[in-house]
Amino acid sequence: MDFTEPENWKRIRAEAEEFAAEHVTAEMIEEELRTGDGVSRPLMEAMGRRGWIAPTWSKEEGGAGLDPFEAGVLMDAIRAAGGPTIGSGTTMLPANAIRAMGSEALKQAVLPGVAAGRTLICLGYTEPEGGSDVFACKTRSVRDGDEWMVNGQKMFTTFAHRADYCFLLTRSDPQSRGSHGLTMLLVPMDTPGIETQAVRTMGYERTNIVFYNDVRVSDFYRIGEADQGLHVMRAALEAEQNVAPAAKIGRLLEAARSWAARATDGAGRPMLHDPLVRERLARLAIDAEVTQLLGYRVAFLDQLGAKPGPHAALFGPEAYVQWSKEVIDMVGPCALVAWDDPEAVQGGAFEYHFRSAVASTIYGGSSEVLRSLIAEQTLGLPRSRPKV
Amino acid sequence: MILALTEAQVAVRELFAGLFAKEATPERVRSAEPLGFDPALWEHVIATGALGVAVAEDAGGAGAGVLEMALIAEEVGRRLAPVPFPETAAAARLLARCGATELLGDALEGRLIVSLARAPLGEGGGALEGQLLTDGAVAEVVVGLRGDEIVAVRRPPEVRLVANLGSLPMARWNVAHADVLAAGDGPRGWFAAALDEVRVLRAAALIGLAEEAIEIGAAYARERRAFGIPIGTYQAVAHPLADALVAKDGGKLLVWKASWALESGQPDGPGLSAMAFVFAAETAYRAAQHSLHIHGGYGFTAEYDIQLYYRRAQAWATVFADPRRELQVVADRAFGPLSTAQGAG
Repeated sequence: MDFTEPENWKRIRAEAEEFAAEHVTAEMIEEELRTGDGVSRPLMEAMGRRGWIAPTWSKEEGGAGLDPFEAGVLMDAIRAAGGPTIGSGTTMLPANAIRAMGSEALKQAVLPGVAAGRTLICLGYTEPEGGSDVFACKTRSVRDGDEWMVNGQKMFTTFAHRADYCFLLTRSDPQSRGSHGLTMLLVPMDTPGIETQAVRTMGYERTNIVFYNDVRVSDFYRIGEADQGLHVMRAALEAEQNVAPAAKIGRLLEAARSWAARATDGAGRPMLHDPLVRERLARLAIDAEVTQLLGYRVAFLDQLGAKPGPHAALFGPEAYVQWSKEVIDMVGPCALVAWDDPEAVQGGAFEYHFRSAVASTIYGGSSEVLRSLIAEQTLGLPRSRPKV
Repeated sequence: MILALTEAQVAVRELFAGLFAKEATPERVRSAEPLGFDPALWEHVIATGALGVAVAEDAGGAGAGVLEMALIAEEVGRRLAPVPFPETAAAARLLARCGATELLGDALEGRLIVSLARAPLGEGGGALEGQLLTDGAVAEVVVGLRGDEIVAVRRPPEVRLVANLGSLPMARWNVAHADVLAAGDGPRGWFAAALDEVRVLRAAALIGLAEEAIEIGAAYARERRAFGIPIGTYQAVAHPLADALVAKDGGKLLVWKASWALESGQPDGPGLSAMAFVFAAETAYRAAQHSLHIHGGYGFTAEYDIQLYYRRAQAWATVFADPRRELQVVADRAFGPLSTAQGAG
């Protein structure tokens, strides 16, 4: 047992901070707040040149050969500087699935561009009537010679309008239900018949509805066996659940602490001396510490080749939502001021976190789905959802 | 960053897990009530060297650290072992720091049970007046802080067990005399360090308790049927157990980190020990409460084991501190203490 931060983490963090100081510009952060795309092509390419898009891949594959802990330190530092990384981070979920289960030719065609920061892959799982029931997929794919003809509609496809490919879940066996008869396709987003419609959110993020009308996709872009897409999906979903989510709660704590040290009450005393403020900050610090430790646990078990389960993905976002509210209670009306107002406090962080946090307990598996997985896999309780 | 236990640490854990599985069965836990002390089990605990695990080898211990003590405390908690563990283990380390060789030898050899008085002792006569001692009904000596001195107080001839929720061997001592073990610049810091160790060990015991309470609840939810299916199928039953499990895992890591930090003298060790206490206390209560609740009426009966866990989940935290008040300790350590001038306002 040793919780000492290794020297290489400090080195990587310093490198990432230096990198961010150069490449994450104020204009880039502002553009992200205005567009909500989660994507900056110049940042991606700069990261790609250092092997930082796929930091755990070997250098030969265009990565940086980092271990999961080092990669976590790296990404945290870039995110903390405000760099938009949703697009490049999400891309790694299908990229890793392709790396594990794609054909050699597909890997050659796609993965070098991913690692170099030139290629973005969005996730086409959720449908308007699907949500957490991801296998209720209705988007149809029909084999036609060397091609697949795709028809259907996907929901919440974040950065689809900026992506090169969509990692698309389709139903290839019309007789099938649930998790059977599915095929995974990597659909080039410039294929005729794809139409993307913006969906605005309350959380400074844009997402999309994507329509697929008679979209022809070469069989070259199939991942895994036809009708056996479940195996590919399962690997990709587990990769998403077994991650340490970006620990935004740590940044919320820093913003709240910084406010408490600077703000004063009517009598000129620092808010940091107020017992109610101290109690809340202490509790927030505990939850941030536990979130971070559960994140380390993910990296540690990942290194051992064990499956950590969605513990961190459940605890972190739940705590983050709770604190995004309680910190506003504590700070008061000035916490409500938006980032682009001249009176913004802490750069509008409190308003931003409140708007943004609630989505974190939904994407990547809603808390209810994650609790069910833990109950079934770790506690051995019966499955609660009907099995189809 | 290494989150794995060493082979030696795994061996410590397995040794005590095995001992308590055999010698701290629910029957033995029940028969030790209301005193909460099983002399035969205590002999085993002494014989395996539990008290000296973190005492230096030249002082008669095994030379390991706080983490090894915490691993033992976790197993105490898992089986609700009726032995006075956290305070006696911290007291042994404190005796070693004071150079109280003779008393330490008596404690490690099992000739005397030496525990800790949590609150500072009063000056002059009636040194322990007013203090409800966690192990007062079984300890022969308690060690405490009086001004700038570490003192030892011997058990008076008449001691009355104060019957209590957690079946803890609590009692008050009315004793005038105290022997000074150490004086000078060291004692205040040493005693504060001992209290931080108690924080971590109480937290570890509560995490072990939580882990077993969750397992008892899950086992019941797998078997018990209502409306034709196992109740664990219902998400209102299953999901709070999943939340408790995740909190327990996080709490265990927090205990381990705090143990490591105290042992290696990290500046955030004291802060982490208070964090671990608060988080473990809340986690253990929630776990035991939900687990008892899903037993329905049976959970309320004396016959089911979960009530043993539920009562201790509360009592084992309360004997040390109010978790909410401990948040002020966390704040003092994480954000700097309030100056006295500010405190007066």
